[in-house]
Amino acid sequence: MRNEKLDLVTGDFYTQNFQKGARENTLILNLGPQHPSTHGVLRVLLELDGEYVLRAEPVLGYLHRMHEKMAEVKTLVQYMPNMGRVDYGHPLAWNWAFAGAAERLGGIEVPERAEFIRVISTELNRITSHLLWWGAYILDLGAFTPIMYAFDDRERLLDMLQILTGSRLTYSSFRIGGVCADINDKFIELCKDFIPYMRSRLPMYKALVTDNIILRKRVEEIGVFDQDMIRRYGATGPVARGSGIDYDVRRAEPYSVYDRFDWQVPVYQKGDAMARYLVRLDEIEQSMRIVEQALAQLPEGKIIVDKAPKYTWKAPKGEACFPVEGGRGLIAVHVISDGGKTPYKIKLRAPGFSNLSLFAEASRGTLLADSVAILGSLDLIIPEIDR
Amino acid sequence: MNGIATELIRIVVGLVAVAAFVGLNGLVLVYAERKGAGHFQRRPGPFEVGPHGVIQPIADALKLIGKQLFTPDNADPYLFWLAPLLSFFPVLLMFVPLPFGPVLTVWEVDLGLLLILAFAGFNVLALLLAGWASNNKYGLLGAGRAVAQSVAYEIPLLLAVLAIAFQTGSLNLSTIVTQQGSWPWQWNIVTQPLAFIIYLVSALGETNRAPFDLPEAESELTAGFHTEYSGMGFGMFFLAEYANMIVVCGVCTALFLGGWKGPGVDGFWWYLVKVYALLGAMIWFRWTYPRIRFDQLLNINWKWLLPLATLNLLGTAFLMKVF
Amino acid sequence: MMETVFDQLSTQCVAKCDYAKTGLHWSVFLPASEIVRAAKLLYKEECFLEDITAIDVKEGYLVVYRFNHMDRPCRVALRVLVPHAAPKLPSISHVFHGAEWHERETHDFYGIEFSDNPNLVPLLLPADLDVHPLQKEEGARASLADLLTPCEVLRAEPGFDLLTPKAEEEGKKAKTAGAEATGA
Repeated sequence: MRNEKLDLVTGDFYTQNFQKGARENTLILNLGPQHPSTHGVLRVLLELDGEYVLRAEPVLGYLHRMHEKMAEVKTLVQYMPNMGRVDYGHPLAWNWAFAGAAERLGGIEVPERAEFIRVISTELNRITSHLLWWGAYILDLGAFTPIMYAFDDRERLLDMLQILTGSRLTYSSFRIGGVCADINDKFIELCKDFIPYMRSRLPMYKALVTDNIILRKRVEEIGVFDQDMIRRYGATGPVARGSGIDYDVRRAEPYSVYDRFDWQVPVYQKGDAMARYLVRLDEIEQSMRIVEQALAQLPEGKIIVDKAPKYTWKAPKGEACFPVEGGRGLIAVHVISDGGKTPYKIKLRAPGFSNLSLFAEASRGTLLADSVAILGSLDLIIPEIDR
Repeated sequence: MNGIATELIRIVVGLVAVAAFVGLNGLVLVYAERKGAGHFQRRPGPFEVGPHGVIQPIADALKLIGKQLFTPDNADPYLFWLAPLLSFFPVLLMFVPLPFGPVLTVWEVDLGLLLILAFAGFNVLALLLAGWASNNKYGLLGAGRAVAQSVAYEIPLLLAVLAIAFQTGSLNLSTIVTQQGSWPWQWNIVTQPLAFIIYLVSALGETNRAPFDLPEAESELTAGFHTEYSGMGFGMFFLAEYANMIVVCGVCTALFLGGWKGPGVDGFWWYLVKVYALLGAMIWFRWTYPRIRFDQLLNINWKWLLPLATLNLLGTAFLMKVF
Repeated sequence: MMETVFDQLSTQCVAKCDYAKTGLHWSVFLPASEIVRAAKLLYKEECFLEDITAIDVKEGYLVVYRFNHMDRPCRVALRVLVPHAAPKLPSISHVFHGAEWHERETHDFYGIEFSDNPNLVPLLLPADLDVHPLQKEEGARASLADLLTPCEVLRAEPGFDLLTPKAEEEGKKAKTAGAEATGA
């Protein structure tokens, strides 16, 4: 069927489905799935009236690998590397959610030193996740330089995390019952160098980027989410904390040793993209505080429980989940076991999935440039959304 | 008869020289941009091809020339390939009135400024044709933005330039240069600072350079109006953008910064130094600032630059009448 | 506080879970007709929807809705059992708009129909795929009693007391009795 207007050949199933509700004289545009806005393989169908977005519909599935089915054919111990690939931004949080669920099922108690190592590596990972987001977001908005600076800082963090985990991006270093490698002197030395260095960089980022009038005009008062909208879509993490909701899983459902450290949860009230931006930058500072204190209080001991589960380990029957605060929000891995070799069902609750679902409503009536800014402020990692 | 012949030969030689200058500068500017970008981003930039990457632009040029020229399906082939040519060739003509040195002008046109501004309008047409003829929605959006932006920013540009023309009483760029002194406090920038700032901002808007590079906004529109161009088509747009930058900086130097006059010995070297300084500033802006949103861009123009430029012009006219 | 919400619904089972072992606070079984009312009540309580998923068991599909609260953390799992032959449920996406995507995903994986979901097209799987990957084969399905962790049941209708420790005991007794019967 040839359309006389600009789309000479009708698009695929989703485009046709989207076009059913199209109004007169509007332009249907596909943002992605190949798109320079570095979010990954996300496709957003837009109905544009000039520069204004009338309707937006994200189309997912381009990176869907059916992790939940993979879980049903692998044993629990074999499944840990999958958790490193679900979210390349903050994989250690996913590691933790899964290991924690398996430990809850099996009644395994993790040694104290392992808990501290988990906290340190997860918080350092959170800093890398936020730096990656920050660089990519400013790149979306048109400034090409801050991403280079952010990646420069990330290199130091990746060197540290490589000592602890053996990988640079897709970590699967947690084990059911502890962690796989111990902190050594080299790590402590790198860490002690990194924290003052990063603390000296953050004011520069603030002065050069955050306070820049062009950036502020692009980001302030864009994409205001009110608290009701956050709750209706189940958005968590910096998206919720930017709208004044003080919800952080580390405080709401305390786990591990977080209650031994003195740190704050940054919350901003305005609900616009700038608030979410500031929440994430403040979280970098808070994560560094936690790491400092954890290193100071690091106890001696084992890093993994004796008789840790091997790959043939069968979890007892039951269901368990272990909610964790990831860089994007609440991560929960629900494991349901019938006592067999492989779990009966695993559900991966991805925060990005709920965060992205509010984009359709949030971008209605905005300019195209603003909708890109809103998309960036949600901090999306598509592999986590598609799983 | 003889007079016309010499004039003609002079123009032809001048145009060839201009073409060579533009081509050479294209290479130099590509290198400067990439090296500048690199160092601003704490990395070395091109390093492999030749010592410190100096042969990189030639490698780029060879790559662009060697690519397949691909016309998209359902695109209008004539308009599609006319657009890059229309973007590039009028720019060469814009170099004609530029006073590179005391005698180094291709042709001293009495209406030099008018000629430059007139041919600058071709760029708008070229961008529009590029976006329309690509049969690509991203291209269309980019072209629409480009037209609105270019048309909008021509006006404060014109008004700022007119203020100088009022002050000097001539549209001939060589005359404007000779009327300025050698020392920086004798340049027009001292008498017309507001016009200088308005001119610079409008120039960034006219040449589609960051922070006003929305028509090719990479992160929103893939590549805007030149999405569908590859190889030499893209190369022509690229060259045209750099050539435009040189023209605009050249005009700025002639109008505000004393042209080829400078402390010590006057000559074409001062002209080149000032033009390259301005180009360096433009490159610096691109790699520092994020992009302005489209409606904010038009707002800046219609609500700020245009009234300020008008007031500046009226003020200049008033002061000229009174004194 | 949550108990008042559950009192207003006609539930099939209300159980208080052991948070340290399961990560859940409440586990409530509901009939399909009550789920929209339950969602509305939880929305009024300012809860948010964490996710919607399903489990393929012998008795049918157990669709699980997990809610939580941002100020007073309290994870509630609402469970609705729908038969394999007619897996239909009303959609709660008019109350919690985020449910639209969760329901689409559950439909993709299990084939469960959510009536009046505004856009029940495949979300993660290709549009032309006609299998539902997470459905289990007949022989591989387990029974609900073999999957869920027993907890403190406040009230339960007959047939839904599978979360009581008593049910687990009886299950074990039945197994050993069956083994004796076949052994003998």
